[in-house]
Amino acid sequence: MPTYNAPLRDMRFVLTELAGTERLRGLPGCEEIGPDLVDPVLEEAAKFCSEVLLPLNQSGDAEGCTLENGVVRTPKGFVEAYRSFCDGGWTALGADPEWGGQGLPKSIGLLVEEMICSANMAFGMYPGLSHGAYAALEKHGTPEQKALYLPKLTSGEWAGTMCLTEPHCGTDLGLIRTRAVPAEDGSYRITGTKIFISAGEHDLTANIVHLVLAKLPDAPPGTRGISLFVVPKYLPTEDGRPGPRNGVTCTGLEHKMGIKASATCAMAFDDAKGWLVGRPHKGLLAMFTMMNEARLGVGVQGLGIAEIAYQNAVSYARDRIQGRGLDGTKAPDKPADPILVHPDVRRMLLTMRAMTEGCRALSAMAALEHDVSLRHPDPAARQAADDFVQLMTPIIKAVFTDTGWDAAVLGMQVWGGHGYIRDNGMEQFARDARITQIYEGTNGIQALDLVGRKLGAHGGRYLRSFFHPVLAFIEAKSEEPAMEEFILPLSKAFGRLQQVTADLAQRGLRDPFEAGAGASDYLRLFGLTALAYAWARMAEIALDKPDAFYKAKLATARFFMQRILPETSSLAAKVLAGGETLKAFEDAAF
Amino acid sequence: MDGTLVAAATARTAPAIRKVGVVGAGVMGAGIAAQVANAGVPVVLLDIVPGGAAKAIERMLKTDPAPFMHRGAARLVTPGDVGTDLALLSDCDWICEAIIERPDAKRELYAKLEGVRQPGSIVSSNTSTIPLAALTEGLGDGFAADFLITHFFNPPRYMRLLEVVRGPQTRAEAVAAITAFGDRTLGKTVIPCKDRPGFIANRIGGLWMQSAINRAFDLKLTVEEADAVMSRPLGIPKTGVFGLLDLVGLDLMPHVAASMKATLPAEDAYVLGLREHDVILRMIAEGRTGRKGKGGFYTREKGPAGESLKRAIDLWTGEYRASEKAQLESLSLRDLRALAEHPDRGGRYARAVLLDLLGYAASLVPEIADSVADVDAAMRLGYNWKYGPFELIDRLGAAWLAKALAEDGRPVPPLLRQVGDGSFYRVQAGTLEYLGTDGGWQAVPRPEGVLLLADVKRRTTPLARNGSASLWDIGDGVACLEFHTKMNAIDPGTVELLGKAVALGKKGTIKALVIHNEGEQFSVGANIGLALFAANIAAWGEIEGLIEQGQKAMLALRNAPFPVVGAPSGMALGGGCEILLHCDAVQAHAESYIGLVEVGVGLIPGWGGCTAMLRRWAENPRAPKGPMPPVAKAFEMISTAQVAKSAFEAKDMLLLRQTDGITFNRDRLLADAKAKALSLVEGYAPPEPKPLRLPGETGRVALAMAVRQQQALGRVTPHDIVVCEHLAQTLTGGRKDHTEETTEAELHALERRSFMALLKTPATLARVEHMLETGRPPRN
Repeated sequence: MPTYNAPLRDMRFVLTELAGTERLRGLPGCEEIGPDLVDPVLEEAAKFCSEVLLPLNQSGDAEGCTLENGVVRTPKGFVEAYRSFCDGGWTALGADPEWGGQGLPKSIGLLVEEMICSANMAFGMYPGLSHGAYAALEKHGTPEQKALYLPKLTSGEWAGTMCLTEPHCGTDLGLIRTRAVPAEDGSYRITGTKIFISAGEHDLTANIVHLVLAKLPDAPPGTRGISLFVVPKYLPTEDGRPGPRNGVTCTGLEHKMGIKASATCAMAFDDAKGWLVGRPHKGLLAMFTMMNEARLGVGVQGLGIAEIAYQNAVSYARDRIQGRGLDGTKAPDKPADPILVHPDVRRMLLTMRAMTEGCRALSAMAALEHDVSLRHPDPAARQAADDFVQLMTPIIKAVFTDTGWDAAVLGMQVWGGHGYIRDNGMEQFARDARITQIYEGTNGIQALDLVGRKLGAHGGRYLRSFFHPVLAFIEAKSEEPAMEEFILPLSKAFGRLQQVTADLAQRGLRDPFEAGAGASDYLRLFGLTALAYAWARMAEIALDKPDAFYKAKLATARFFMQRILPETSSLAAKVLAGGETLKAFEDAAF
Repeated sequence: MDGTLVAAATARTAPAIRKVGVVGAGVMGAGIAAQVANAGVPVVLLDIVPGGAAKAIERMLKTDPAPFMHRGAARLVTPGDVGTDLALLSDCDWICEAIIERPDAKRELYAKLEGVRQPGSIVSSNTSTIPLAALTEGLGDGFAADFLITHFFNPPRYMRLLEVVRGPQTRAEAVAAITAFGDRTLGKTVIPCKDRPGFIANRIGGLWMQSAINRAFDLKLTVEEADAVMSRPLGIPKTGVFGLLDLVGLDLMPHVAASMKATLPAEDAYVLGLREHDVILRMIAEGRTGRKGKGGFYTREKGPAGESLKRAIDLWTGEYRASEKAQLESLSLRDLRALAEHPDRGGRYARAVLLDLLGYAASLVPEIADSVADVDAAMRLGYNWKYGPFELIDRLGAAWLAKALAEDGRPVPPLLRQVGDGSFYRVQAGTLEYLGTDGGWQAVPRPEGVLLLADVKRRTTPLARNGSASLWDIGDGVACLEFHTKMNAIDPGTVELLGKAVALGKKGTIKALVIHNEGEQFSVGANIGLALFAANIAAWGEIEGLIEQGQKAMLALRNAPFPVVGAPSGMALGGGCEILLHCDAVQAHAESYIGLVEVGVGLIPGWGGCTAMLRRWAENPRAPKGPMPPVAKAFEMISTAQVAKSAFEAKDMLLLRQTDGITFNRDRLLADAKAKALSLVEGYAPPEPKPLRLPGETGRVALAMAVRQQQALGRVTPHDIVVCEHLAQTLTGGRKDHTEETTEAELHALERRSFMALLKTPATLARVEHMLETGRPPRN
């Protein structure tokens, strides 16, 4: 059975030493953020994840969810685990104190999320979706809606969902068919079918709050005609308790590759009663405001999987003895050396580690900017921070989830044939990780978001939030000999990224097909350059510190610069090659 | 024979008009007088109301957009009263009447004119509604021979259409003289019209407005939806129909309707379509007549935070509501026919109005004009449409239109039947031709001496070309460099082609170069979107390289071994202005708006503009001597981003030289510029710029003090100070002082340094971004 030790040392490093808690403490509501507050939260979370969630991960995967007469049962132990999750206050971690939350910043929340995803990603879906519903209602709900739903979602008493996808449309939501008809009492009647609804139905909570995209009768065509509705499973009574059953039922459970303990439901809305959230026809806009947070969350799922896959690959590589080291015997007292000594195993482990720690660093930087963008008193500072979050969101989502998948596959590889055996738990990571590259906008869509929406926005202003600080960092450190081995490769990758960005923007402006053709490679080029920046900054902190933790940091930084970052050169060449070969190929010849 | 051709043929022999009289100092009369004065021709302006003419001149000096191109032009207007000063008209060659639209009042005035005007002088009326015959009635054959209708559009300085109607007795020389004067002196495109109500533009334009309003009510479109369909998709200005009514005034409509009803036959589609809408009647009654009144179909209200909120009227309740952008699927269609066939209300609306408009227009030739080309030209120039009705028919397909009309049970005009599935225009052997009413093809007429780049482009292939600019052979060894980017912004492609043009000249392929294009704007300056993007990705080296290449291109232009003539029309801003500053001569359209506006986006001119302005002032004999005056003058102009509002103002600001030419008719600009270029060829030698002596640090301090005084008065923003400091440092020559010479290369280096330093400031980037997104510089 896989084990998990939350990487608390590294989490403290990225939070306090890299991103820096001083800036966080300058934000309203974060004045108290310091080791006294952070350490117990992280330690408690680590304990809960290792002791309660991890043991349910494999059993939940094996058992899956069941549907009987419209009732969905989660795997054994999930109800109890969810109850203690709520009792521990974990559903309330990031929620506003006004609704009973603890008001902790995203900088801390994301670290806890990572642990949950490492230990039991499927379980994490339930509170994750509730948090999405919470955020939508907090931002767009009426005061009455907020007072009714937010305390329940904060305490975890009620859960939430996001009902977007329909059988014939996922990415292109302009095509949805679910209808909302105004009723005389100011509510609406919702009718339609939604699929792939995570946590759409389950036995964890007394009520489920569905946020549903539907079209009003006078809706303009396309994505500009979509409205958002809140549709509770049980209609709340006057005193806010679950009342009569609403016309929403689970009609089927999907049989999936992974996250089997997460109920993925087909939902039927049959004249269900709902209330408008936000303005008519502006539903998609409302969803967009939460998209960044949701996509960062999915990115962190990838990071969580990568971490646990790495940990279990390392422990196997230490224990498994097979063959002798190519550069001489390492364990003469044993019949063979641990496979840890083999260069290709080391390559795999270091690749997993360098990507995972790099992603954690980038996620901490993004989380801090996210907090600044929400809490800073100065609108200019909020905007600059939001620019960075806007820019990095698709990159984080795609690069982190690719990292999750790559690390899960490498983890299996380190385990050899045993990695392919279900009981050992390594292949579950791959199956669970795979969905993160697909949902919440496939990684291809993330790449289009980056080149189509983020690159050109406001004359490229989002880009400034990355390019200017990175160039300033390179210039500031270019005279320090000890930093040369990090700054030189970073500056090379940065130059490539500049060149490719300008080229892609110009070609894309003339022909959107060109932008689309280069998008995925461009996103990865950008992501690796951003990781190189994170690694160079981490190396700067680690320089000349004797502690083993910092020595390992420097060593990992070197590996990243020499063995991973050169990929940017081939990525740049691919983008610069243009889309002609994609366009020229005859459709019929596929 | 075509009316335009007659006019063209006689233009050269037409008697000159050396002095003009205008009677009636209302908006139109005063505006016509101002335009005559703009052209440097003395003009007498009389009004019935004693003192009215003088007041009108005063009023015009404060009007924006200004009727006068130059304050000096106002001095050419002699005001007077009809009652006492009629004798002032005695030496006028042309008397233009623009008084109240009453035939009796006009005839009474004409009778008085007969007593004072000189023999052979011409009398015209600016009437827009009264038939010519009704005006000459009882005034005798002599008057009728000298009389015609000259119908200007409002505002007369800016609208390029002049409709001319001759009566059966009007002398050909009178028509020729007015045509020549209107064309060459006043810069108008003269379109001969038949003596029919509303002539061409208002007859068709009026029906279009009526149809666009009626159909919006019928098909239940919001005003935003109607205006969105009735604008860009049809090539009509963005005001659409309701926005246009707000602009001209809702109260004008009933007057136009009454006059059309009185003069057109009862079965005319115009008369049949006349309808009153309760909401509009109520709006007029309540004074909500448009921008001049208490709001119109659109209005602005203060929001809770003091912000300005756009409101629009609900056509059924008459109440204002928040204005919302039209969202119709049909609006996303680029193809006009696809729009007209789309089933949503936008598509049905487009179809209905197009059928009304185009069916009507096709039924009016030859009733109102001899040719479809004249009708199209009138609509393009009188209503600022991109396409005239027959060009619209070609875009839709004449057969499609005929079929659609038949489907709706409406008459198909004979002209449309005659075209069949053909078109009204074609290009034959490089010549644009239109279909005559006799079924034969005729070349679209160009008055003598007109050279259009569009015609050149139909005939030839470019000498060189890239995505941003093209080089055309316009004959006699002269090449024309044409920009064709959006708003003719200058980008690396433009600079590349400038270089190529110079190289071709050095090889002797061309002997002179004209820089000209037929876009709305000559050039709005460097492509700041590209610069902003490059700055956002910190591509500083590339940006500085572009600045340097631009400077080199400007110098190459100036030092080229052949003459270069700039021929701007519309805006020539920033880099566009810097190009003109490096030309040997400029032939400017009178409506040229030139200036170095870089500080608006937090930058300073970097393509030699600072250097060139210093030199202009240093070499100006009128400027005081010493190192400081040129610096102070250039600083004053550049730091306030002053823009000349006409070619005349540009001369005052030294953006143009005294020797530079001004052309009133845009269609004649290229020919004039070409002639200017050819006149410089013989014995041409590139200018040899003298080195400058600049005041250095002491001058910089003086300018900085002046700026700080402005700051104390609250006139400048914090970032203005930063920009001004960089500008001051550049213009004063940096570390040098007046004891030594500052070279051009040193000044260019200073320009680059300041430009780059400013581009790295967040406030400048914010300004550029704001400008790109809103079209206005922000105050930061």
